[in-house]
Amino acid sequence: MARKKLELPLTVIGPADVGRLMLEMERLDEALRAAALRSGGEVKMPKTSRPLDDVAEINKLDLLTKDDRQQLKEFLVSVRDHAPVIHISFASEPSAAFTLKIVEWMRSNIARYLLVQVGLQPSIAAGCVVRTTNKVFDMSLRRYLDSSSGLLLEALRKQRPQNEARVNGGDVK
Amino acid sequence: MIAWWAFIIGGSLVAAGLLIWVLFFDQDAGGYDRLSPSKRAKKAKESKVVEAKNERANVKMAFDKQAEEDVEHIFNDTFREELRNRGRLHFEKIIGENAMFLQQDLRLTTSQLNDFMKQEITTKLKEEFEKYEQSIVDAKEVAIEAIEKTKQAVEDNRAVLLEQLKAEFAEEKVREIKRFDENMTEVINHYLVAAIGDQIDLSDQLEYILTNLEANKKAIVQDLINGA
Repeated sequence: MARKKLELPLTVIGPADVGRLMLEMERLDEALRAAALRSGGEVKMPKTSRPLDDVAEINKLDLLTKDDRQQLKEFLVSVRDHAPVIHISFASEPSAAFTLKIVEWMRSNIARYLLVQVGLQPSIAAGCVVRTTNKVFDMSLRRYLDSSSGLLLEALRKQRPQNEARVNGGDVK
Repeated sequence: MIAWWAFIIGGSLVAAGLLIWVLFFDQDAGGYDRLSPSKRAKKAKESKVVEAKNERANVKMAFDKQAEEDVEHIFNDTFREELRNRGRLHFEKIIGENAMFLQQDLRLTTSQLNDFMKQEITTKLKEEFEKYEQSIVDAKEVAIEAIEKTKQAVEDNRAVLLEQLKAEFAEEKVREIKRFDENMTEVINHYLVAAIGDQIDLSDQLEYILTNLEANKKAIVQDLINGA
């Protein structure tokens, strides 16, 4: 039977989340094995985290089944080892909803299994800075202002004769 | 002074010698002149022959003899001792007087010598002080001249330095204005970023961020493909 291709939920954002899921899967395996040994038959599903629940839900996996658990573990290992990673920085700490929107856009427009590392960089004022494997995409307000400095300088130079006339005329003390 | 002293000492020695000669040799000379009693007796015996002829001579001789005996009687040992004492006292007196004269002369000489030394020392000191004052005056003139030259050089350098400073200030002013012009946009950008950094809500930036991501989507995908 061919295995179906699994999906990453939006609640699993970056490599750290994948690592936590893998660790939780290991613990879940141990917990279910111990419960099976104790009860000898039917076991009850222990409480799991929301990302793990989301993964199981969107992929329709039964985590009580060993094959599904094994499939999920292999998927997580594959994601950890091969999924592209993007680092994105904002001027302030983004909310969870904001992060989900960004991740959703990236996974639908850039890569299906993209992992996102969110960082903080207050000096950019607004916008974001995206860093991929080899490049940095500065989409911040600071870079925009820097790139527009020619316009600002030109405007200031146009304004300078008027200011000098005002100073020389004694309007400004 | 030494010749005078030698003359005094020599004179004293000669006087002492004369005195001694008078006291001793004169006595002996008297002895030579006297006739012994045997000779006188013989002579009287012989003179008896010619007594008649020489009676007057004998009388005279007797008179002479008596005179000599009187002299011998007068210049006896006591008288000689007295004369010797007198001579000694006289000699001591002369020596004392000479010593006094010598002392006076020595005092006078010492006083003159002191005066002379004082005068000489004063003259020398005066000359040296005059030379010293002259040296001080010369040194003072040299120092004043050097100070004047230094002052003039400082004034010249100050003027040159002032001109250089003015020129450098003007250049620095132009340079600063130019630098300010060049960095003005950076200053304004920094101010804007600092001013609005915390004022823009991230939710409001979502559309702007997504637009920028859309604009760079191809480059991002390409880099992920190449990087992978």
